[in-house]
Amino acid sequence: MNTLAEQFSTTSALSKLKKTQALLEDEEMSDAMWGSQAGFGNVAQGSPSFAVPAVPDPSAFLRLHTDDRADPNCKIKIQHGTTTLAFRYQGGVIVAVDSRATAGSYVASGTVKKVIEINPYLLGTMAGGAADCQYWETYLGMHCRLHELRNRERISVSAASKYLSNLVYSYKGMGLSMGTMICGWDKTGPAIFYVDSDGTRLKGDLFSVGSGSTFAYGVLDQGYHWDMTDEDAQELGRRSIYAAGHRDAFSGNTCNLYHVKEDGWRFIGNYDLSKLHYDGPNNVPGAGYGYDIRIAGRASALQPAVAAAA
Amino acid sequence: MEILSYLNACGGHRLLTRIPPSFDMSVPSVHLASGFDFSNQIRNNFLAERGIPLPKATSTGTTIVGCLFKDGIVLGADTRATEGDIVADKNCEKIHYITENIRCCGAGTAADTEFTTAMISSNMELHALWTGRKPRVVTAMTMLKQTLFKYQGQIGAALVLGGVDSAGPHLFTIHPHGSTDKLPFVTMGSGSLAAMAVFESGWKPNMDRAEALQLVKDAIFAGIFNDLGSGSNVDACIITATSTEMLRNVEMPNQRAEKENKYEFKRGTTAWKKEEVRSLITSEQVTLIGVGDESMDTS
Amino acid sequence: MFDVQSVAHQGPQSRQFNPYTENGGTILAIAGADFSVIAGDTRQSEGYSIQTRYAPKVFQLTDKAVLAVNGFSADGKMFVKKVKQRLEWYRHAHAKDMPIRSIARLIQTMLYSRRFFPYYVYNILGGIEDDGTGSVYSFDPVGSYEREACRAAGAAQSLVQPFLDNQVYYKNQTAGQDESFPTHLPLPSVLKLVVDAFTSATERHIEVGDGLEIYVVLKRDSTAIQSMEGVQEVTTSEEGQRVFYIRRELKKD
Repeated sequence: MNTLAEQFSTTSALSKLKKTQALLEDEEMSDAMWGSQAGFGNVAQGSPSFAVPAVPDPSAFLRLHTDDRADPNCKIKIQHGTTTLAFRYQGGVIVAVDSRATAGSYVASGTVKKVIEINPYLLGTMAGGAADCQYWETYLGMHCRLHELRNRERISVSAASKYLSNLVYSYKGMGLSMGTMICGWDKTGPAIFYVDSDGTRLKGDLFSVGSGSTFAYGVLDQGYHWDMTDEDAQELGRRSIYAAGHRDAFSGNTCNLYHVKEDGWRFIGNYDLSKLHYDGPNNVPGAGYGYDIRIAGRASALQPAVAAAA
Repeated sequence: MEILSYLNACGGHRLLTRIPPSFDMSVPSVHLASGFDFSNQIRNNFLAERGIPLPKATSTGTTIVGCLFKDGIVLGADTRATEGDIVADKNCEKIHYITENIRCCGAGTAADTEFTTAMISSNMELHALWTGRKPRVVTAMTMLKQTLFKYQGQIGAALVLGGVDSAGPHLFTIHPHGSTDKLPFVTMGSGSLAAMAVFESGWKPNMDRAEALQLVKDAIFAGIFNDLGSGSNVDACIITATSTEMLRNVEMPNQRAEKENKYEFKRGTTAWKKEEVRSLITSEQVTLIGVGDESMDTS
Repeated sequence: MFDVQSVAHQGPQSRQFNPYTENGGTILAIAGADFSVIAGDTRQSEGYSIQTRYAPKVFQLTDKAVLAVNGFSADGKMFVKKVKQRLEWYRHAHAKDMPIRSIARLIQTMLYSRRFFPYYVYNILGGIEDDGTGSVYSFDPVGSYEREACRAAGAAQSLVQPFLDNQVYYKNQTAGQDESFPTHLPLPSVLKLVVDAFTSATERHIEVGDGLEIYVVLKRDSTAIQSMEGVQEVTTSEEGQRVFYIRRELKKD
């Protein structure tokens, strides 16, 4: 019913795309792609344009070929799977993410940068479709810069996140998949907004997004205080991502940690989750988050010490 | 993603396949219903719907052929077995023994071809002992087609059966559903079209042994090089009224390329958390009782 | 009452639109300190049939960038054609070759412009950055990308990538006492790894084989010596980096 209505509607995202499609076919390689604008890809005309297959229901077409949850044998595997978190506290915002990308049950990459540096004051996180997040958050970066040039002041986190939210909402139903946190510091202080491809936009102090979010929340909620020190806050972010990487098969590899303060964001470090398990953040053998503290040579898998003595 | 983690939990299960203890169906077992057990079918269909397909059975993608010549039959096969697009076995044997004068090439599900031919081989031996005669190719063919028909294509075996008996040389193909053909030259498997092209252009009646063997080799080569499901080496089998020659790996046109590097790892490459040295020698104190003058009463 | 269902039944029936096929093959790229190696096999297949034993999957874009494409070959061909066109226009406008990091971003926007009707291609871009370091960029079909040191894609990705992880990143290997693993491999070792990766993939994957094409992008003043036989220089101009081409046979079964 919905798709039937969409076919005749003149205002839906689909019909809008079909119109730009008609334009696109005429001048896919327009004058704007020449000269100094030649590097701007499909953003060359000012706003991006997208090719749409000539079928009654393009989003069903897209789902058929790309949704590995509905059909694990689908050909085009879009990268998925994640744990990301961000929280606000007395000293700013902590942003921590894992670095694993999965396509079906295959670990497509273990070195993904899931924090997107929109500009020196704004960070975006990446969950859902990797390309959707990378592309639209880079695009958001362009518009944040335009806002600065037009208004002679930096864009607020609220405005930036709303820009993104409105943008993805205009594509609702087309198959975009993103769950992101826009983090930064503006006139109002530290701020986090959760924005997803359904159109949800939420302001909050603490969020975690992705398949490993439940595990991260578990650690995060029990360790969170507004008055934490910077060291404790960074440790909490790291420890939460470790917990998610440990228990969620679709998260893992390494943790990227960022800290946003009044003077912009700072990259704290990249931590191997396996090293955190055995040796901890300071790389001290035996001081890991998981191994010695739990096992201490007494796991049921190991031989009892008595037998060894004999 | 959640669905896929569920996959790992149930990955090992597959449709239960029970091979009945005997193909003699006149006396059904009291304890076991004969034939396949379909009790997991509903569950498996449900899992397939959720995107968890059954594990792939090893299939012998395969080019198998047979051809008639002046003195008998030449059978041929490639040696590749695949699991989807992965090569599972680079040198498997697809020409199965039925009796001394009958052989059978198998294509399709590897396990099905092996067990079906082994079962028919046993029954042929019993049949030969019972009748006291040299077994005939049609007997094996009839047993195979009746078995396959009974299972309505559920046994995925596509066979080329050949041999020489009292009535002369015979060559058959048997399809998974039980239909058969009797022809002077036949091909089966995913490489059957490539191989048949060679036969159609090169086969003639009353070839000699060398000619026939070369034609069979060429047909298998066509399968090996043009069909992705076939590969590696050529096996052949020449059956005449007086002898059966199994030519395992008559041609090996696909030798493994030598590696540029040596992949040896230094001692200590694998990390460990704990080292423990245990003595395997145990010493026991044994107190001997009643040794010497008293011997055990064994009366 | 308007009956939607019955109307749908009488209306025109559309068959399922499936414009994609998988054409097999595998590509890989490894970055070194001042070079980048990009390779691919030359078999193109569909199902159990070989369409051709020589269909190039690796293309020289400029004297410092080489692009490998894998997946659906029609989409791949079209995509490479359009990338080359855009690079030529850039050269006309700026009188220089596009930097490789910019080519990477260009490829992202070009792939993403088909977000709702994707190119079924996995791209790997290799070359030399403006700072003289070797680089590899890998893409998913809708344009998410990342700079890496090595990457395999295509049919035998799951066979080749673990081998590369172990031999290039030294994953699951621990160095001995007072030893450490090199951060960058020298060119001769990389070429050996590439050849071995492909001969091994050919052994165990039915869609890989026939021929191997290797491109090496070498920093102009690099002293890396070509130890392999049959190396052919394919550099087009005096100012960019140098590009070399190596061809090897692979098994044909």
